[in-house]
Amino acid sequence: MNYAVLRVDEFALHALIRSDPALAARPVAIIAGEGRKAAVTEVSPEATGVTAGLAVTLAMARCPGIILRTRDPAAEVEAHRLLLAAAFTLSPRVEFTGAGCCTADLQGGDPVRTEAQMRRSLTELARAGLAARIGAGATPLLADYAARQADRLLIVTDAREFLRPLPLAFAAPLPGHAEIVRNWGLRTLGDLMALSKAEVGLRLGAEGVSLWERAAGESVRVLRLVEPVKTFVADWAYEPPVESIEPLFFRLRRFAERLALELRGAGFAAERLGLTLRLEDETEYRREFRLPEPGADVDSWLRVLHAHLETVRTAARVAGVRLVATPTRPAQRQDGLFDTGLRDPAAFWENLARLAALVGDDRVGTPWPADTHEPDVFTLERPLESVPAPANPPVHPPRGQALRRFRPPWPVRVQCVDERPVGLKGEFAGGAVRAARGPWRGGGGWWKPGEWAVEIWHVELAAGGIYQLAHAAGEWRIEGILD
Amino acid sequence: MHYVELHARSAFSFLRAASSPEALAAEAARLQLPALALCDRDGVHGAVRLYMAAREAGVRPLVGCELTMEDGSVVPVLVASPAGYRRLCALLTTAHLRAAKGEGRVTWRELAEDNGDLIALTGDAEGPVRRLWRARGAAAAAEAGARLADIFGPDRLFVEIQRQFLPDDEAENEFLVDWARARRLPLLATNGVVQATPAAGGVLDVFTCLREHTTLDAAGRRLARNRERHLKEARAMGALFADLPEAVHNTVRLAERLQFTLADFGYRFPDYAVPAGETQESYLRQMTWRGAQARYGALTDPVRRQLERELELICRLGFSGYFLIVWDLCEFARRQGILVQGRGSAANSAVCYSLGITAVDPIGSRLLFERFLSEGRTDWPDIDLDLPSAERREEVIQEVYRRYGRQGAAMTANVITFRGRSTMREVGKVFGLPDDVLDRFSRLFHGGDFPHTLELTEQLKLAGLAGGHPRLPALLETCRQVRGLPRHLGQHSGGMVLSAGRLSQFVPLENARMPGRSVLQWDKTDCEDMGMVKIDLLGLGMMAVLQDTLEICARRGRPVDLARLPKDDPATFQLIQAADTIGMFQIESRAQIATLPRMKPETFYDLVIEVAIIRPGPIHGDAVNPYLERRAGRQPVTYPDERARPILERTLGVILFQEQILRLAMEVGGFSAAEAGEFRRAIGFTRSPERLDRMKDKFAAAMKRNGVGDEAAAFILKSIASFALYGFPESHAISFALIAYASAWLKTHRTAEFYASLLNCQPMGFYSPATLVQDARRHGIRTLPACVQTSDAACRVDADDTVRLGLGSVHGLRAGAVAGLLAARRDRPFASLADFLRRTGFNAAERRALAGAGALNALAGHRRAALWEVEAVGEGDELFRRAVAEDAPVSSPLAKMSHLERLQADYVHLSLTTGAHPMKLLRAGLPGLWPADRLREGRTGERVQIGGAVITRQRPGTAKGVCFITLEDETGFANAIVWPKLFEKARLVISLEPALLITGRLQNEQGVIHVIAEQIAALPGAGLPEQASHDFH
Repeated sequence: MNYAVLRVDEFALHALIRSDPALAARPVAIIAGEGRKAAVTEVSPEATGVTAGLAVTLAMARCPGIILRTRDPAAEVEAHRLLLAAAFTLSPRVEFTGAGCCTADLQGGDPVRTEAQMRRSLTELARAGLAARIGAGATPLLADYAARQADRLLIVTDAREFLRPLPLAFAAPLPGHAEIVRNWGLRTLGDLMALSKAEVGLRLGAEGVSLWERAAGESVRVLRLVEPVKTFVADWAYEPPVESIEPLFFRLRRFAERLALELRGAGFAAERLGLTLRLEDETEYRREFRLPEPGADVDSWLRVLHAHLETVRTAARVAGVRLVATPTRPAQRQDGLFDTGLRDPAAFWENLARLAALVGDDRVGTPWPADTHEPDVFTLERPLESVPAPANPPVHPPRGQALRRFRPPWPVRVQCVDERPVGLKGEFAGGAVRAARGPWRGGGGWWKPGEWAVEIWHVELAAGGIYQLAHAAGEWRIEGILD
Repeated sequence: MHYVELHARSAFSFLRAASSPEALAAEAARLQLPALALCDRDGVHGAVRLYMAAREAGVRPLVGCELTMEDGSVVPVLVASPAGYRRLCALLTTAHLRAAKGEGRVTWRELAEDNGDLIALTGDAEGPVRRLWRARGAAAAAEAGARLADIFGPDRLFVEIQRQFLPDDEAENEFLVDWARARRLPLLATNGVVQATPAAGGVLDVFTCLREHTTLDAAGRRLARNRERHLKEARAMGALFADLPEAVHNTVRLAERLQFTLADFGYRFPDYAVPAGETQESYLRQMTWRGAQARYGALTDPVRRQLERELELICRLGFSGYFLIVWDLCEFARRQGILVQGRGSAANSAVCYSLGITAVDPIGSRLLFERFLSEGRTDWPDIDLDLPSAERREEVIQEVYRRYGRQGAAMTANVITFRGRSTMREVGKVFGLPDDVLDRFSRLFHGGDFPHTLELTEQLKLAGLAGGHPRLPALLETCRQVRGLPRHLGQHSGGMVLSAGRLSQFVPLENARMPGRSVLQWDKTDCEDMGMVKIDLLGLGMMAVLQDTLEICARRGRPVDLARLPKDDPATFQLIQAADTIGMFQIESRAQIATLPRMKPETFYDLVIEVAIIRPGPIHGDAVNPYLERRAGRQPVTYPDERARPILERTLGVILFQEQILRLAMEVGGFSAAEAGEFRRAIGFTRSPERLDRMKDKFAAAMKRNGVGDEAAAFILKSIASFALYGFPESHAISFALIAYASAWLKTHRTAEFYASLLNCQPMGFYSPATLVQDARRHGIRTLPACVQTSDAACRVDADDTVRLGLGSVHGLRAGAVAGLLAARRDRPFASLADFLRRTGFNAAERRALAGAGALNALAGHRRAALWEVEAVGEGDELFRRAVAEDAPVSSPLAKMSHLERLQADYVHLSLTTGAHPMKLLRAGLPGLWPADRLREGRTGERVQIGGAVITRQRPGTAKGVCFITLEDETGFANAIVWPKLFEKARLVISLEPALLITGRLQNEQGVIHVIAEQIAALPGAGLPEQASHDFH
């Protein structure tokens, strides 16, 4: 028993259900692909008649109440961290093998204690909402096969007997080879092993030999180890924001389960918990709790958090939550002696980021005319790194006077004769119109709620001043002055 | 003040304008514009439609065109005379024929060389002058203008100015006015019209997006700035150009100079080159009498009289050359061994019969010649020729090009319009709807599906678009507006137009997407409206089957002469009466099969009626049940009026044929033959319901004058109205019935040859090859698998009860590789699999396909052994390894395939199985299921459960939302009827599941068996192959 593999089949689906309690025990399918190629990739057992690979339309036909979701990367990251945390409780040498799969190098450990820890880890993972399986064997490959085959925990002792009935797909043939061996009628690893390795190699080349070796469990490899976590942080963004305590508390429980496992795997305990609630009005609510006693017990953390949250009333809905566990042995950090502060050009971007944090990302940048005929609409682009070279002068320079826009525009009442403005009455400007040019008409956005239509005039008032008048949605406004 | 709009585009500028020519004509009439010039982009595609609509609306339809020049600028030209029109057509043809479809450009040199009687405008923002003014300034613009002035001179170039309420209008117009005055060129006000009314502005934006392959959200400034480019009345244009009144006045002056309309376009059909000393008339007479002798033997008086009458009329109307040309084409086909048969109303003509153009004796069949040709008729008679589909038909088409040249003949266009499902897909995409919603919509709501049981909003909801979606109202309105507008130009399936001289003088020609074909810019109705002669060279799958069957029969020493088939063969009629008609022409559809047991055809004419009666016309006109009930003696035969008795006697008082309408019009309504002909055309002219209404009113008044009672008149008018929804002429039904009968006779007496040919001519007909093979099995025909040692490329008959699949049936084999195999085998048979692999040139995928399909079994023993061995061969000679190096017998360590595995491999590589039907494997696990062939033992009302592969799903428009499903099992077919409510409930399952389990009540009446569905579910049985289905057509 040199290696253990922790595995969650249909990982994306389990991660999603773990993160959304409303999906538990319901017919749910993860779908991928666009248009005609949209198909089910993973499916819960409640979705009767639906299998992976089925077209989405057919899945809807077969299971009318089915809930179709795409993968949730944030939920998967959370679930992966949890799985890794569980793996680190078995060994400090852990590989992130792939989606829903970690491999731990158990060499040098006590087999009896390791097996007991594996069972504990499975229980903790199940409590944290992740139905994992663990397989153990002499090689990472055998451990992986064992994990796929396990009910909960399977330790392989007689490799050859174990391998014989396993599905050939376990050996992951290349797509082209999978079709060939399927056409040969091979279904199990034993079927392939029964063929001569040389004959298979003759037909399928080097990859065929490798496939045969994988089928025989002969393949060995070196693990690509991952670093244990050093910071114990969990973060989640709600879409849409939440306004009751239940979803918030559900998420904090999921955080606590993972962070506690991570701390234990790294040999730490938490002495403080930092809670941040990001509110929909772009403010934040922060609070730090010193735990009565350093530890990694989920229930005691949750008691502290729950007691506090019951008293909290926020001004806006909660858009995100973050929980930070401070370990009792904090990492040391040496400040730089030569930090130059804001004099560094990079500080510009830092300042900009701070501004954005204050006023919002969508309100910082260089204004740029938007690609629309709608007047005075702009987008904010990221400022250019350097001043661009001057463009060629326009073929036809703008004629007449420049428009100085009033923001907001001035409401005005307009008197018309023969559909032409002859008089204005407004708070800031008014009087008889000496001359009027126009109208110029524009419109767009008719296909969406933001439809617009506007008629523009330039009017010279008898009292002086040339103004730009706009008539839209039955109302007149003075948009600016031409000067 | 008067004004004429001289620069308008229609939707026939294909995605560059938003209104049909008819809508432009109607709006021009409403605005009291005296004339309107249509300048579509690079063509005159919409000219005929404008001509027809504007003439009727009292607006003078002027012809123009926007020419895309080699530098990308666009020059609008207007046609002043017939000579100018010919030049325009020639310019466009030259540009289009040298470029790929849609990329034709006129060179400045061509325009300079030949522009007489064309009047140019400087154009709008895409015109050479304004385009350069914007890009490079006044000097460059003046230079471009000068080039135009040099080409057209000061009297044929107008400086176009537009005011569309845009801020930049004035600066540009100031330049244009100054430049025009400096060059002493006249100004011309236009509105650069791209839509009839402002309401069509949304459509224009959508079209822009489609053209630019973008969405409305991303299109930005490419969309129209406002909706001002619509037709405007004189007063509005006068007000806009109050400071330049001459620009408006010049529109009227110029319109007066434009003397050309399509009334003068001068088309003439080509003469037939007759031998020296003959005229077309004398030669036609000579050929007709010679043919009549061969057809009729001794010429009786009625035959002589009819032929004389027809010849006299044909010659007097000047159609002799036309008949000779069609006759000569038929002769060509016959010389090449290509089956050919005229269809349509030509079969009403004894001359056509004598010339061998048609196969129906109209005198013996008492057909009405006036349906084909009549006194006072000005349009050309319609002769359609049925030919075997694919290569043989192409031989005839290419012969026409060879005889008349690429500029003397062309296929008629087929205007592809925005229709149901495609409209939603395209418009939805532009509106930014997600692909998966559009995809689900397409899959759930088939093109041929009956659309009316579910509102469009509900359909979209089912596809995943929420009912309250903010874009839904605009989407629905845009789809409504877009529907019916042209999308692009395709080619008609077989209509060819010929002309005396160059056809390209009369209408511009373009390259078709298909190599070697050219297409003219008008569709068949346009050509008819303009009096152009069209010969339809139609490809018919069944003609190809007949041809192939006859060839196989001849090779096997059992030749058949189609012309001499007995018309009263009892065995053939027995098969037809039993509705055992899979594979037969016209009578194999589900609806036909459901009618045949009631109709029980006993004679050839019964078959004619059977072909004609299952059509939307008779179904809508409620003619089907009365006819069948009267035929069965359960209903008395009555006539709406005693004068109708001789006309409707053969159809038991029911109106089934167009000829009957004509004769009713003449004999009950007192119409002349020409009036009756006009009435017939109005019925067939679906573009204008008003035209039909006018004729119906005229007919109703005529019947009243002739003393026809109100009830009888109402009955006749209702029957006529139904013919607007497609009814056959009797002659056409007879022509089709001839082919149907031939196919039935061959299925009865040359069964193996017939099935082999059906398989060779796929895709065609209603049923998939898998169904045909199963049907063949039920007729005692064994189908043997494809085999590299024995199969040909095509299916072959090995014995009277045995068909051998051809190697062409195996998916994915290159024809060249198969030909190489056959050549190698002709040298000597393959001694071993190694020998086969060594001497053939199949690639790895092909070798696997042959092995998987069982085609290598003769050399390898079984499929798995073959699959094992073919993998031992590398690509390329030098890589040949053991299997080829050693000629050792094949020894595979692999087990043979099971029955189910062979079945699956069959469907993967052949889409059919020569073994047992897949349902046979499932039968044991479904004990309550009724086999299809046992349903006839059930009682009406009995609850039954049927199951099988879905081979048809249909919701015809005539069935008011009812869905018909045909399931196939190992014993035959079971039909189910699904009422609309259940259909909507189970739409997803019905539309998407390849095999169904249907529970319901049996209906077994008069030999017609249906299950009225009550529950529908997917058939359990994962792993069974999916079969092709004929859906919603």
